[in-house]
Amino acid sequence: MKVGGMEQRLRREAAALLEQGKVDLIIGFADGSLKFTTSPLITSDKDDASRLVINPFIANNLSVFLTGVKGRVGIVAKGCDSRSIVSLLQDNKLAREDVFIIGVPCSGIIDLTKVENLVGRDRDEIDDIVRDGDKVTVTVAGKASEFAARDVLFDNCLACELPTPQEYDLLLGEPTPAADDESKAASQEKINRFKAMSPDERWQFWQNEFSRCIRCYACRNVCPACFCERCFVEEAEPTWVQPIPRWQDNLIFQITRNIHVAGRCTDCGECERACPVNIPLRSLSREMYDIVDGLFSYQAGRDKEAPPLLACYEATDVVDFIR
Amino acid sequence: MIIYKPKVIVFCCNWCSYAGADLAGTSRLQMPPYFRIIRVMCSSRVRPEWIIRVLRNGLDGVMVLGCHPGDCHYQTGNYFARRRIALTKKFLEYLGVNPKRLQASWVSASEGGKFAELVTEMTHELEKLGPNRLFTDESGGNGTETTP
Repeated sequence: MKVGGMEQRLRREAAALLEQGKVDLIIGFADGSLKFTTSPLITSDKDDASRLVINPFIANNLSVFLTGVKGRVGIVAKGCDSRSIVSLLQDNKLAREDVFIIGVPCSGIIDLTKVENLVGRDRDEIDDIVRDGDKVTVTVAGKASEFAARDVLFDNCLACELPTPQEYDLLLGEPTPAADDESKAASQEKINRFKAMSPDERWQFWQNEFSRCIRCYACRNVCPACFCERCFVEEAEPTWVQPIPRWQDNLIFQITRNIHVAGRCTDCGECERACPVNIPLRSLSREMYDIVDGLFSYQAGRDKEAPPLLACYEATDVVDFIR
Repeated sequence: MIIYKPKVIVFCCNWCSYAGADLAGTSRLQMPPYFRIIRVMCSSRVRPEWIIRVLRNGLDGVMVLGCHPGDCHYQTGNYFARRRIALTKKFLEYLGVNPKRLQASWVSASEGGKFAELVTEMTHELEKLGPNRLFTDESGGNGTETTP
């Protein structure tokens, strides 16, 4: 089904859900205030359903709102978002009957920065961006140029194995295929470049990156896996991280955050998108995702009946690091 | 000549490893005097934050010791610890921390010899590695991992 068809169906279904009282709230996407962006829409008004959109720019992981709202909620979820929801279910942060998942089969979200870099123009100067299968057509000043979708999608979308939600109450279209090997290789490029460095260079790299960090905690606040009511950074006795944003404490914050969300992180890429100083945070979270997968064959958000990763064990778990 | 003495924090579980360390002491086994033991009730009590904090505070290494699998006083605590430490170690290694700075093992109450051996070996390894400068600001904030 075409994106436009999904959008029409979503608006119809959302209005009906609210009208019939099946849900108290709908969480979805509406057009953003800037070009080629969307912003979250949380509404209980059925007339607002006509503002819901589905387009290749619905980047946010809306499941972050689920722990903050009351009542039965209908939520628009892409593949990664639905895995985040399942992950919340595993942690007993949600009851399944309190959430109505409107699944969107996703074919990747367009990274506007990549588009801007490719055409060498600012977002305001771009007239139109149209996704059609493997091609993305960008129109600048009346001139259309075509790019491969692989060159303009977010890295985490290139690596996506389950773009279609596996857990849903309503699926808006036909399932979309998983990323091919070529895309996956492209998504790993940054991480592989990092891995090729020596340990000293790697540490130096993160030191440089985290010197920029202003500790705004945007990465934490957009993360659906970061649901602690009191975050360790706010604990004063002991002070795990000093309040002054020095690189040491910035890095410790991010290392610890990644360990905390291990087995919950679904590689939705929100942390990296939210970062105002462009620290490549996905290079950390994706590696953690791969470490978890490699050590315990565990992928976050695949099975809502499974216990959370660090709340269970196998007698046959990895032992090679034990002396 | 200044002899470099690597400081190691050893987290010992109350039931096996601490008794093992005690046995090593009462047996008067030769051990480097630079390690410090912190007794915890179970190896799974050790939070990853603690491990990072030890390195942040400029100590040279962390060792987490627990009961052998199946021997845990709380039945399963060491299994949880194993998962957590495996993750932490791999992740720190990816970031550029030498994996030798975080080690884990199982020491039972009767293994005083094994305790002494582990601590001695780790100290020697860290001596070769040089001091932990990961979180220092010296030399332009260079957190180097090479021998000085």
